[in-house]
Amino acid sequence: SQHFGRPLEDHLSPGVCDQSRQHSETVTLQKILVKEKSGWSRWHMPAVPATGEAELGGSLEPGSALVLFLDLRNVIKYDPSKYCHNLKKIGEDFSNTIPISSLTWELEGGNDPMSKKRRGEFSDFHGPPKKIIKVQKDESSTGSLAMSTRPRRVIERPPLTQQQAAQKRTCDSITPSKSSPVPVSDTQKLKNLPFKTSGLETAKKRNSISDDDTDSENELRMMIAKEENLQRTTQPSINESENDPFEVVRDDFKSGVHKLHSLIGLGIKNHVSCHDSDDDIMRNDCEYDSGDTDEIIAMKKNVAKVKNSTEFSQMEKSTKKTSFKNRENCELSDHCIKLQKRKSNVESALSHGLKSLNRKSPSHSSSSEDADSASELADSEGGEEYNAMMKNCLRVNLTLADLEQLAGSDLKVPNEDTESDGPETTTQCKFDRGFKSPKTPTGLRRGRQCIRPAEIVASLLEGEENTCGKQKPKENNLKPKFQAFKGVGCLYEKESMKKSLKDSVASNNINKDQNSMKHEDPSIISMEDGSPYVNGSLGEVTPCQHAKKANGPNYIQPQKRQTTFESQDRKAVSPSSSEKRSKNPISRPLEGKKSLSLSAKTHNIGFDKDSCHSTTKTEASQEERSDSSSLTSLKKSPKVSSKDTREIKTDFSLSISNSSDLSAKDKHAEDNEKRLAALEARQKAKEVQKKLVHNALANLDGHPEDKPTHIIFGSDSECETEETSTQEQSHPGEEWVKESMGKTSGKLFDSSDDEESDSEDDSNRFKIKPQFEGRAGQKLMDLQSHFGTDDRFRMDSRFLETDSEEEQEEVNEKKAAEEEELAEEKMKALNVVQSVLQINLSSSTNRGSVAAKKFKDIIHYDPTKQDHATYERKRDDKPKESKAKRKKKREEAEKLPEVSKEMYYNIAMDLKEIFQTTKYTSEKEEGTPWNEDCGKEKPEEIQDPAALTSDAEQPSGFTFSFFDSDTKDIKEDRVSVTQAGVQWCNLSSLADNTNSMVL
Amino acid sequence: MRPLTEEETRVMFEKIAKYIGENLQLLVDRPDGTYCFRLHNDRVYYVSEKIMKLAANISGDKLVSLGTCFGKFTKTHKFRLHVTALDYLAPYAKYKVWIKPGAEQSFLYGNHVLKSGLGRITENTSQYQGVVVYSMADIPLGFGVAAKSTQDCRKVDPMAIVVFHQADIGEYVRHEETLT
Repeated sequence: SQHFGRPLEDHLSPGVCDQSRQHSETVTLQKILVKEKSGWSRWHMPAVPATGEAELGGSLEPGSALVLFLDLRNVIKYDPSKYCHNLKKIGEDFSNTIPISSLTWELEGGNDPMSKKRRGEFSDFHGPPKKIIKVQKDESSTGSLAMSTRPRRVIERPPLTQQQAAQKRTCDSITPSKSSPVPVSDTQKLKNLPFKTSGLETAKKRNSISDDDTDSENELRMMIAKEENLQRTTQPSINESENDPFEVVRDDFKSGVHKLHSLIGLGIKNHVSCHDSDDDIMRNDCEYDSGDTDEIIAMKKNVAKVKNSTEFSQMEKSTKKTSFKNRENCELSDHCIKLQKRKSNVESALSHGLKSLNRKSPSHSSSSEDADSASELADSEGGEEYNAMMKNCLRVNLTLADLEQLAGSDLKVPNEDTESDGPETTTQCKFDRGFKSPKTPTGLRRGRQCIRPAEIVASLLEGEENTCGKQKPKENNLKPKFQAFKGVGCLYEKESMKKSLKDSVASNNINKDQNSMKHEDPSIISMEDGSPYVNGSLGEVTPCQHAKKANGPNYIQPQKRQTTFESQDRKAVSPSSSEKRSKNPISRPLEGKKSLSLSAKTHNIGFDKDSCHSTTKTEASQEERSDSSSLTSLKKSPKVSSKDTREIKTDFSLSISNSSDLSAKDKHAEDNEKRLAALEARQKAKEVQKKLVHNALANLDGHPEDKPTHIIFGSDSECETEETSTQEQSHPGEEWVKESMGKTSGKLFDSSDDEESDSEDDSNRFKIKPQFEGRAGQKLMDLQSHFGTDDRFRMDSRFLETDSEEEQEEVNEKKAAEEEELAEEKMKALNVVQSVLQINLSSSTNRGSVAAKKFKDIIHYDPTKQDHATYERKRDDKPKESKAKRKKKREEAEKLPEVSKEMYYNIAMDLKEIFQTTKYTSEKEEGTPWNEDCGKEKPEEIQDPAALTSDAEQPSGFTFSFFDSDTKDIKEDRVSVTQAGVQWCNLSSLADNTNSMVL
Repeated sequence: MRPLTEEETRVMFEKIAKYIGENLQLLVDRPDGTYCFRLHNDRVYYVSEKIMKLAANISGDKLVSLGTCFGKFTKTHKFRLHVTALDYLAPYAKYKVWIKPGAEQSFLYGNHVLKSGLGRITENTSQYQGVVVYSMADIPLGFGVAAKSTQDCRKVDPMAIVVFHQADIGEYVRHEETLT
């Protein structure tokens, strides 16, 4: 054991050496913990060379883990400072250690048959990720694992290290730029080595293995053999994939790259096997994240160390772990005291970073809480919950990306107080400004938490915040709360509601509910609330609100978007606010305040407009706004230069008049006077405007008749409002606009008509003239060009000569020749191909033949083709046969009379009797069946000539005998005759039947 | 610019057939048009009939290239495939090798593929069989010759060369001036 442990210990602190020497067969969990706790920073030193090692190991076979191991022993004798540059030497050593390598090959040979066994099944894509995840699981749960499971890690290590090495390689290009802004401190040195941490982990594990598990080579071998057996039983898939780092696919293999990619992306973050060049960015992100997770882990571990929380050190490094830690951290963040402790512990420069960390942790918890719980479940259940794990990993991944961004922005905070970087900076500035008094850490923390995470978290934390807010009675405290709530829209409403309750202005609730724009609410409320404050603290209030507005969208959107968003908001706000105003005075009990609030609001609108222009720079604009707001607040008169605000004001005055009608009895005369004066002024202004408009209209064509028609359109609105003056004022404008519109439209149509006609001309102009098409057409064109455009000399198709055919023939010949050449060449090439590939000739010919066969098989019957008559089934046979049968029948039928040849002589005398007998027979037939169904008989008779003949055997016999050959026709005639008779009889019998029925 | 002689054609086809086998026939006999091989400046161009006719209007000394260059004949009248032929080899390739992302760069710098970088390989690949090299995302990266058969690949040590490099798309950058 010392053999292994020795070289490593040279670089370790004596304490660690002792521990490593002490190691017994079963290494208790505590020891590991202690080691990790105490020796964290010291473990880095061997870790650096170990990363290089890992890279080398990545290129090695999984079975050669031992080799690595022994190499490590050799390598570590070098000066550790040179390890990174000694890779070549390592390689030499590796080549030199022949017996060891042979040992490994033996091992692999042991593995080989297994892999061969499974080669057939082999659906590989899931293999590697599964393996790694399981490994990680094992690692994470090593605390509870017994000694027997540890050797497995030894075997499983190499692929992992390989991947990690690969990851490192990719990270190298990425992380340095990222790691630069990270603040440096004694405890955070790890952060500066973001990608080395992963290697460190592996190295540490290996070291631990070497320290603990491997006493001698024999023992090791034994263990490995045992483990192999174990794996055979438990984890066949893992082992298989280990044995074959590459897969073998069939010829017709088509890789489901995307599936693979997604799988891997889901499954393993640390694993660098996202390969799509398209998704290179994605992959980079992944690695990036993983690197940063390591970073975070490191940071957190340091923090944890400071805190002496032993639970953290228990867990080894994996993404799951990080999430777990993050969650714990978030738990910690809930406890303000602990946070305070941390702050006190860490340097002032670091404080921001820590804050960011703390902030991060809640956000992390927010998005990954569920994931964590799930992952824990998965842990408890073992390796079965692979899918769940993958899901979790993905989630963690996302959150980490977010965290990264946040961290990056946060880290900049200390440097850039003046600049407006993101939501955090603005909020911080706000804090600095808003809070002069020292805040409790809870408030700050929570405020940030609310800004930070998704809305879900905010909603979760809402209750607490509300309580906190209620504890603070002052307005100033409420404002910061606003800031805290900025991020969350849904919270915003509630917050405003709460405020209104506090302020005991019950009437405002209605307004709020009715108002669609919630952003405006708080501002109005605050102004209303602080009627004493309005003058004094308006300057303070408004910037806060603006900050809110600025921050509201900020938490999701980048600033550029935010500006547009805000401007839109403002635009939307202006009409809505006007509505509000119309409602506000009605509901408000105090009239005296109205003017004040009015001024405030108008100022507010103006303010909004101002802010529209200067939203990009939040910080600077805030200051500007504060200045402007203070200036405007000083102005009592609601004078704003912009037109829209003025109109709104007028609306407001009108609404005031309404309200005055309602509450005239209760109100003071002064108010009435004021309103009246305002009305008068307003009317005057309108009149002036009217005059202007009238003048303008008079100057135009002046269609007085058009007015009513146009007014019909807007008359509804007129009826609604009852306030004629404003409408009148507004209408002329509308009319004018409409008129202009109509004119323009009419012109447009006219012009369009013209265009149509023009287009027709154009179409004629650009019609393709057949006589000028083609080669001959060119000639014609040339001819035409000689004569100019005179119609008389226009060259028609009549002038076309017939030489074009010859030319075409020539061209065709040329083409044909070329084609022949090409075909020849092709044939030659094909011949060569056939000669090159001996199979090819036959195959090609075969193909053709096969194709021909196929086509023959598929021949479609075409009745129009005479050739296809061969495919027809001869229908004639059947009818012929049937005819023959009939003939036979007839013959048979005829034979009967033949029998009575002698009768011929006897009975031929009397034809009368014959006919009578027929009638008689028919009458006989009549009697029985026709009562029931008369319709049946006819078809029967028609269909069965044989029966008929049999009926009329004897008489027909004579006829046949008379007309030998032409029996048919006569027979048919007779049949028809008999039928007619029968029919007649039928009719009569029918009539009789009916009569009898009636009777 | 001239058509290939039979000998040249044979040499070239033998080379190409190493990669695409009997699919070579599909290159010669294409259903979508007439394509032919033309020799120009010792380089073989795979060109459609249409382009070829257009290129016939340009004097030989001014013509830089036409169609797609498949490769060139060396002075010893051996044929050497260029990476520009990859577009036609990749879709028809019979034996493929996928390399891991970590090894992509190495391969694209002109290095051989080591076993450690071997992600996937077509089964039954024999030794010295021409293979087309793909990334794990199925992007053709180049082609080479299998240094080991599939079965041997399992046993060799990770640093062993599995595929000899012949051409890779990195040459578009590295040999920009010579690729035509």
